[in-house]
Amino acid sequence: MTSMTDPTDLDLMAYADGQLAPERAAAVEAVLARDAQSAARVAEIREQNRLLREGLDTWLAEPSPERLLAAAAAPAESTAAPWWRPALAMAATLVMGLALGWFGREALLDRQGMPTSFARQAAFAHVLYATDQRRPVEVWANEEKGLVTWLTRRMGVQAHAPDLNSVGFALVGGRLLSGHEKPTALLMYENPEKQRLTLQWRKHDRDANETAFRYAIEDGVSIFYWIDHECAYALSGSLDRAQLLAVARVVYGQLAAAEVARK
Amino acid sequence: MSDGALPHPDLVAAIPRLRRYARTLTGEATRADDLVQDTLARAWEKRRLWRSGTDLRAWLFTVMHNVFVNQRALARRDARNVSLDDDAAGGEVWQIAVRPAQQARVELAELLEQVGRLPAEQREVLLLAAVEEMKYEEIAVVLDIPVGTVMSRLSRAREKLRRLADGPSPGLRAVK
Repeated sequence: MTSMTDPTDLDLMAYADGQLAPERAAAVEAVLARDAQSAARVAEIREQNRLLREGLDTWLAEPSPERLLAAAAAPAESTAAPWWRPALAMAATLVMGLALGWFGREALLDRQGMPTSFARQAAFAHVLYATDQRRPVEVWANEEKGLVTWLTRRMGVQAHAPDLNSVGFALVGGRLLSGHEKPTALLMYENPEKQRLTLQWRKHDRDANETAFRYAIEDGVSIFYWIDHECAYALSGSLDRAQLLAVARVVYGQLAAAEVARK
Repeated sequence: MSDGALPHPDLVAAIPRLRRYARTLTGEATRADDLVQDTLARAWEKRRLWRSGTDLRAWLFTVMHNVFVNQRALARRDARNVSLDDDAAGGEVWQIAVRPAQQARVELAELLEQVGRLPAEQREVLLLAAVEEMKYEEIAVVLDIPVGTVMSRLSRAREKLRRLADGPSPGLRAVK
């Protein structure tokens, strides 16, 4: 039974790359048989792929340098080199600043069941990506539906992108942080003054009835964070406490409403 | 290298491909090898995250992409107060060295020059699809983006290459 939908340009592209699902191939081949321009387009893509491989495959034959062969061996147990370059002094300072700033709070927060390392990581990630002018997010707001679906699938928990227009913030987009053991979702918002907020969340193991907002500030970054039954959330930004709290309330309210709507 | 530790054969086998992709990410050979070295170190740290039986190459590319993205973001923070020399497209200037024997291939040189003018996010997807021949789903995992975004970036990359190619010499390339 042939498909009733006409092949799209993306189908043609997938076909050219040898990645089209077999059941779609018949429909594409029918188009290629009757439309010379499409056939030429597929041939063009394949030729371009071939030319790129021809140009870049020669590098595969180069002998690997000694230092990379050494890196392919298990490292000595005693050295735990940080994966970012210590030579970037500002990065090191930032990490030290966060470590020192959070020290006093750790004992208190541990007793109350909030994973301090998550809040610290959220602050670090906020600074890292909110200051990135060119690629602060991987998926932009114009693909919001796809973004939410993707985050939901990767996180294993329903994602929501709160609408913060009522408090002056528009969605910029999102990304997934997978450098740590558990993935963390990150959504970024921006207001007309180009101030940025990030909302991050990650799955949270422990059972907690406590949902009170906790507030922290580090190096000019304010953070409100809380836990619900599934996730730990952190809302970060360089706003003053009252402004950030207003936004946090909107976020919390929308997430809670979405939760109720699902039941 | 610690005493007695031999290089892991599967990692050694992956080094040439990692170096090649690292060169397209960084645009320069020494920084590329630095990136591969950092990637291998991180892979050892995070080796428990790799599920045995799944594609090791794809996982290593994912690790490398994470390392690269974070290093780039940190570097931009440090360079915030320094004016950066961008080309008009808003991306870094990207050049890729071609071996002398291939400089005679004008077609290849032109194509690589045009690839260099793509926005970085389009170039990365194009090279993973065309040169590494990764499936769209694998690319999505490596770059941590939805599959739909992989396909739309790939489509835009090829459209842009068409426009760049049609500039000086319009018409379709002859099919061999």
